Amino acid sequence: MAKTAEETVVRKSVRVQGSMERAFSIFVEQMETWWPPDHHIGKEAFQSIFVEPRVGGRWYERDAKGNECSWGHVLAWEPPQRVTFSWHLGPDWKFNPDLAKASEVEIRFTSHGPSSTLVELAHSKLERHGEGYEQLYTMLDGPDAWSRTLAEFASVADGSAKA
Amino acid sequence: MDAYLQAGFEALGDATRMAIFQKLANGPMAVNELAGLLPVSRPAVSQHLRVLKHAGLVSDSKAGTRRIYQLNPEGMRLLRLHFDQVWDQAMSGFQAAVARASPQETSVGRASAATASSQSSKTKSPKKGEQHGKDSRRNRRS
Repeated sequence: MAKTAEETVVRKSVRVQGSMERAFSIFVEQMETWWPPDHHIGKEAFQSIFVEPRVGGRWYERDAKGNECSWGHVLAWEPPQRVTFSWHLGPDWKFNPDLAKASEVEIRFTSHGPSSTLVELAHSKLERHGEGYEQLYTMLDGPDAWSRTLAEFASVADGSAKA
Repeated sequence: MDAYLQAGFEALGDATRMAIFQKLANGPMAVNELAGLLPVSRPAVSQHLRVLKHAGLVSDSKAGTRRIYQLNPEGMRLLRLHFDQVWDQAMSGFQAAVARASPQETSVGRASAATASSQSSKTKSPKKGEQHGKDSRRNRRS
């Protein structure tokens, strides 16, 4: 049994310049401009990342050849305040279509003064990706998944002390 | 990145500990068994297990006279570690993208004259069911 719910959630928040509308728009419409390029699930790097702007819409990447890989679906669509996705990618970056095995990513946009927006992200229900040892093993044993994550972590941790 | 997560990373940063961790991914084992599978002494294995346990990555239990080690069943710490790192990177990228997009507030109505200009108008067929719907882009908000 999961301990407390909070242990299965990752939270991040950033403050950005501009209105909620603008932040929301860049978040969902220009994801390929800011998503870490290494984190793609297709064989090739993504060229675009799409969010279909409605509840039930797909969230997916597409590579230069037109191959698409799903990431999840839109669960809530309330521009410019909030968007929620199902996240079907395990730590091995494989898509699992089973909604019961999907976690949830919620992003809230709140006006913060005249010209900035607070963007709060909560990735919850992570325990749904953590079934037993098998998946952990995959994660650690994957091509270079974990060692690279460690290396990236080290460089991030060295470079900054984000809260 | 909180200290809790950092401890997990550090614990796995050692090759022997990573090896132990991966062995335990196959199922619970006693110290002797682990030592038999790895080119390290039993006391060394015990030492590493202590570090892993302290970091919350493995837990132990008594089985008769033996102590059996296993991965922390929920694996939550690793999962959080993973996603924490992903979103740290992603949200930093997002923040930078917004800052790049346009220094002055242009706001509402128009999609910001941002970095994604290369992909503005192309696939803009507002066709319903077509799977290549570029529909979340631009002109979506009028």
